[in-house]
Amino acid sequence: MSEPVLTVRDVDLVRASRAGAFRLRVDELSLYRGEVLVVLGPNGAGKSTLLRVLAGLEPLSRGSREQRAGGAAALVFQRPAAFAGSVSHNVRAALLGSGLSRGDAQQRVRAALDRFDIGHLAARRAATLSGGELRRLVLARAFAALPAVLLLDEPYDDLDLAGQAALTLDLRRVIAETGVAVAVVTHDLRRALLLADRIAALIGGRVRQQGPRAEVLARPASRAVARLVGMDNLVAAVADPDGWGRVDDAHRVPLATTPPAGEIGWIGIRPEHLKLDVGRGEGEAIGKGRVESLVDDGITTHVRVAWAGLELRTHLLAGRGLARTLSIGDPMSLSVRPECVHWIPGPDPM
Amino acid sequence: MTELPRTELVDITLRTLGVCGSALGLALLLGLPVGIALGRRRFRGRAGLVAAVNSGMGAPPVAVGLVAALLLWRSGPLGGLGWMYTPTAMVAAQVVIALPLVVGITLAAVGALAEDWELQVRALGIPARWRLWLLLREIRLGLLAAVIAALGGILSEVGAVMMVGGNIAGETRVLTTAILMYTQMGAFEAAIGLAAVLLGLMGVLAGVLTAVQQSGRA
Repeated sequence: MSEPVLTVRDVDLVRASRAGAFRLRVDELSLYRGEVLVVLGPNGAGKSTLLRVLAGLEPLSRGSREQRAGGAAALVFQRPAAFAGSVSHNVRAALLGSGLSRGDAQQRVRAALDRFDIGHLAARRAATLSGGELRRLVLARAFAALPAVLLLDEPYDDLDLAGQAALTLDLRRVIAETGVAVAVVTHDLRRALLLADRIAALIGGRVRQQGPRAEVLARPASRAVARLVGMDNLVAAVADPDGWGRVDDAHRVPLATTPPAGEIGWIGIRPEHLKLDVGRGEGEAIGKGRVESLVDDGITTHVRVAWAGLELRTHLLAGRGLARTLSIGDPMSLSVRPECVHWIPGPDPM
Repeated sequence: MTELPRTELVDITLRTLGVCGSALGLALLLGLPVGIALGRRRFRGRAGLVAAVNSGMGAPPVAVGLVAALLLWRSGPLGGLGWMYTPTAMVAAQVVIALPLVVGITLAAVGALAEDWELQVRALGIPARWRLWLLLREIRLGLLAAVIAALGGILSEVGAVMMVGGNIAGETRVLTTAILMYTQMGAFEAAIGLAAVLLGLMGVLAGVLTAVQQSGRA
């Protein structure tokens, strides 16, 4: 991996907030050129504070912030404030004090607007924009000064699904074209996955885990991170010598790894990896369950299955195959591929 | 019925504009930074200051004039300045009247911006003096309201300028004090002429400021 554009290290800061004192601690967090780091965390985890630290807007009494590339670190807030005046005035404002000539500034403004596909809105008053247009305006404004680092706080707020998809494509293109290093904070896993190259899980003011997206999704380091990244099925178990996790005398689950025999830990299975009633070759059978509840949102059917006195979650494509015939109370055989079963060692009461 | 000589009318009008213009300028110079600071910063004692400003906005000019007169009186604490019955004293009294209006309206305009407005502007990497420029531009409608309110207040005010100015012909006589005097003398024609000029001034100023304000909306 290339040299990071921005690194914060050993940060430890305390801020008073509405809910009382809040402490943010980060051992090390880096942003890389052309890469998106998504900081995923529940509300109140310290995401916005972390973003301000990355932007250099928080005075640090402990720790350091090192930016290796020239150019600003532009931060786009969750509720962005547009300046009174036209769309192009808003973008031009970001170039105040940059020393650019009038013509160069004008060109920069135009390029930034075009980059986010709002060139046709240049003369409009910013106050008359829709939510999606305003998002694009503030991104164009942040990009006008050619930042080396772009920091986005919940960039998909107030956007419908189509708007989210369109903005994702534009952001991906702009990131590839400019090589800007990006950090996004969000509490919404699905939105996080739209952009993330890497994920950092922020819980209670601490980065609990960071790594490539697929790794964090498949191998969360703790139950708290597992919940955060959507690994909803978490079952307490003891490792058997043959690489299976024993839930009780009648229920065992094959594991991707072979933990030391007798180790206490948690079995983690993502809902999409837990299969109902499929033939052999689709993983290992883990016993029978019974359908407890069905929720159909038109795209996905969310199924809860009682198994070993617990409740497991899985989902099916709505209106297709099994989802059409499934009803509450149906007995189901459950199976899972061993490579999809994650083992989180330790009793970890969290 | 006495008709007012044209030269005297022009003289009084120019003095009025001079006194009120100076007072407005000083009030803006002092009031804008205070209003912006009160609007942006949170500190101990802020609520008390804001309350003082708000009550100052409704202070009766006559009372302001009385306090100013007591201070500037030859034997008063500021008597040594020798300002009593001079245009300087009138400007000083009018600054006291206009200041709370400027501070109060600026403070409200700044307070209407988003809570994290300044942080957002800093986050764009804009240097400090340009941030101030952007802030002033952002609250310019509020600033115009402050100018209109302050100018309206001091241009039409008669009590304070009468008390500290003394309505001395050729020295401290302004439109409002002249109107008062000629009316008391029964010289209604002169009073009506002066009042027409005063109303005309107010109308022109309000018109200009409104035009600026409306064009500023674009």
